[in-house]
Amino acid sequence: MSSSDYKILSARFDRQDGHLLSVYEADGGYKALRMALTSLKPEEIRDVVKESGLRGRGGAGFPTGVKWGFVPEGSPEVYFFVNADESEPGTFKDRYLLDYDPHQTLEGTIISCFAVQAKLAFIYIRGEFGWLVDRVQAAVDEAYAAGYLGKNILGTGYDLDVIVHKGAGAYICGEETGLINSVEGVKGQPRIKPPFPAVAGFLDKPTIVNNVESVASVPWIINNGAEAYKKYGTEKSCGTKLWSVSGPVKNPGVYEIPLGMPFREFFHDYLGGMAEGEELKAVIVGGSSVPVLPASEIMNCNLDYESLMNAGTMLGSGGMIVIPESSDMVELIQVLMHFYFDESCGQCTPCREGTGWLHKIVKKLRRGEGTAADIDLLEHVCNGMAGLTICPLSDAAVMPMRSFIDKFRPEFEALIQETAPVGPVSRWPRGEQE
Amino acid sequence: MAKLTIDGKEIEVPDGTSLFDACRDARGEALPHFCYHPDLSIAGVCRLCQVEVEGMPKLTIACNTGVRDGMVVHTRNERVTKASTQILEMHLINHPVDCPICDQAGECGLQNQYMNHGLYESKVEMDDKVNKAKAQVIGPHVILDKERCVLCTRCVRFCDEVTGTGEMGIFNRGNRAEIGTAPGVELDNNYSMNTVDICPVGALTGRDFRFQKRVWMLKAATSICPGCATGCNIRIDHEAGRIYRLKPRFNPEVNGRWMCDKGRITYKAVHEDSRLGDPKVAGQPGNWAAVPGAVADLGAKDGFGLIIASPHQSLEEMYLLKTLAGTAPVHGGLTGADLGDKDKLLLDADRTPNRKGLGLLGIEQGEGAALAAVIKSAAGPILIHGGDPAADPAVAEALSGRDIVYIGTHENATAGLAAVVLPGAMWAEKTGIFVNRDGRLQEFRQGVARHGSAREDWRILAELMSVGGLEDAPGSLKAARTGLTPAIGSDTDLNKIPERGFVPGGEVR
Repeated sequence: MSSSDYKILSARFDRQDGHLLSVYEADGGYKALRMALTSLKPEEIRDVVKESGLRGRGGAGFPTGVKWGFVPEGSPEVYFFVNADESEPGTFKDRYLLDYDPHQTLEGTIISCFAVQAKLAFIYIRGEFGWLVDRVQAAVDEAYAAGYLGKNILGTGYDLDVIVHKGAGAYICGEETGLINSVEGVKGQPRIKPPFPAVAGFLDKPTIVNNVESVASVPWIINNGAEAYKKYGTEKSCGTKLWSVSGPVKNPGVYEIPLGMPFREFFHDYLGGMAEGEELKAVIVGGSSVPVLPASEIMNCNLDYESLMNAGTMLGSGGMIVIPESSDMVELIQVLMHFYFDESCGQCTPCREGTGWLHKIVKKLRRGEGTAADIDLLEHVCNGMAGLTICPLSDAAVMPMRSFIDKFRPEFEALIQETAPVGPVSRWPRGEQE
Repeated sequence: MAKLTIDGKEIEVPDGTSLFDACRDARGEALPHFCYHPDLSIAGVCRLCQVEVEGMPKLTIACNTGVRDGMVVHTRNERVTKASTQILEMHLINHPVDCPICDQAGECGLQNQYMNHGLYESKVEMDDKVNKAKAQVIGPHVILDKERCVLCTRCVRFCDEVTGTGEMGIFNRGNRAEIGTAPGVELDNNYSMNTVDICPVGALTGRDFRFQKRVWMLKAATSICPGCATGCNIRIDHEAGRIYRLKPRFNPEVNGRWMCDKGRITYKAVHEDSRLGDPKVAGQPGNWAAVPGAVADLGAKDGFGLIIASPHQSLEEMYLLKTLAGTAPVHGGLTGADLGDKDKLLLDADRTPNRKGLGLLGIEQGEGAALAAVIKSAAGPILIHGGDPAADPAVAEALSGRDIVYIGTHENATAGLAAVVLPGAMWAEKTGIFVNRDGRLQEFRQGVARHGSAREDWRILAELMSVGGLEDAPGSLKAARTGLTPAIGSDTDLNKIPERGFVPGGEVR
């Protein structure tokens, strides 16, 4: 199989002016929409997507079609959100989708909205992606002008409006209920569940929130059918996945590969191995919130939901961070702990206090003031955070923290010895950066 | 109904009950909590009420979980207690632990929960804490200490959901999150002190009570707020004859768990300098021994020519006034006195506690001119019990030159006109019944000792009956109530008033 055979999402990334409607239509765009609206019933679309095995690409991996099925049948007012608040450290795939092929996501959005009978959709774009707002808005404007949006789409009697909404830069607004709150205009923080948004979300009405990549997969699935989609990937991890790879590999960037590809193959054949003079130490495979795997373990993994789960980590968002031997793991975890400390919404206690506490202890260790008890304390604090909060941000901080200690404990211990620590030399002065 | 097993105990509760309430029933005590409040929406932020529900992989918070038939719940096993202890530790790591100077100490959720299921060694160094602003005045009645706050959002939800005024909010995020008011906004609504009550820690404290008394020294008496006709159920917190604060007492029929700020300061009148301390005859301080003679000298041996009652007095006292009057008229005082604005929650326009009581006994009130006419048409001495009818110029004019016995609590215009002034007890210094705006009879009980040589009003009235030669002067409040019960047609013995009061006949009058 050559690599171009399984380009579902990224097929048009290199297309000249691929973001324009005329070019998208010339490439067969909006065919799926026409088919879906004229010859399929909403429940048939839901069934196809369910059958395709498409799972949420934002991180949790929940089956998309099943999620759609949670909307109570016959709800008169349904809302649809495309989650483009891509802010998981290491993740930059949705931004490619929206930048190079916005109409693909838009077409997927319209089909998805039709499937759940939503009349209004929001595309929630991360605030820092300022230029993407313009790009997506331009695509939306084109779609309105062409009759793909607005009243009586393609003469089918189906109405849909799409609003492009720019976030204000909070990581937590990527959590689906935080995102809904943010659009409602209240403080961007997650809601307690139940009720789940599919039952009571935006304005307390049934609401579906899907990741960009999930939505962008829908037109291809409609065009080619569930069976064709399932040909890619494994039994439970169907289709293809975008991976955004950062770190000192030869060819960092965004790649689309079928789920289930061995990491070794991906690493050597696609990423070209490590950059000159660097050696692979570890990989955070699915965005900063998943446990880190040392080189020896990741080399034997396949890149699908189940294999990575069995290896003790998660596929997450596909934001792959490759860590070289020259990196100080405690320094890295300090960066991550600062991130979660800074981004915790502060609503529920274990996360509000725990993220700050972890960050303080790691800083203390890196200042050379830590004791052996501090490493135990890190684990103690993690125990008080994991699984006890409203949303997964707390777990997202705990998973890397625990795994860094677990897999790279000697580097932590080196910091509490009286002699100067051996090991990689930090690029930043110890303890100075937040 | 749902049948569930909590800590091995089977209980049955109505469908739709929250697991939090079911656990309280089964355990006999509430789960640890800060943010849950029965009158506010569920926030689910303190995370303390974690329980284990069999079949669910993660612990879950009971406050946001509904009961399900067949649920098996554990609230005290190792997994649950470990989690709640750790979460409590999270609440405390940035807490200043300034209990020695905190008014909340002694009734603080953090202290109580630490003693109940904390008791671990602190793992945080003092200089590691997050510091926030302390002692910020955020309104006329409330001071905020942001460091002590556990961000349970009860005050925010109270201002959003109960008063609808929305002054409070949470600002910033992470462990920099803090409670506050928006710039230029004060926590200034008539219910602001309730935020102090519902604050589980010492973050919100009342300016009035601040640094006045350690709470464990206070004694409590159950009472009824005399501030308006609503009759909010209250608790008088007092020590050594002094009232320090009034707190609402739960009565779902009247005030729920709230009371207004105006009501909270009604106790101040009890300790005012203008209180009447000793009986006065012809303007000269005397003693009680001289009273019968002085009153008799005014002609009261043959009864009073007119009695003017007041809606500030208890139902028993009004009844005794009628007995004392015999055939003489009893007037209820001024209709236009003690009125104010009403709000949509509790505060009534009628700022007296017992105007309904007058009506219940058939005592009618009137305008100043009408009362003046009544006074002018009455012959003989006049007894005025409470209130200040002479504040009305027409009444004052009519009263001047008459022989007046005044039973009151404060120096005022009426006391100035009276030949004999008798110091009575204020509501906090005596026991009695008020009838609220809905016709509910509620009992208030004595909290503090009477000021000076003031006496309970029923005793004074009984004494005046003796002067008038009446045989049935009551020897006790209980005896007075025994006569009162049939007088108002009550089928409930007024000596056995239920805790939440009652409406005679069960109908709202």
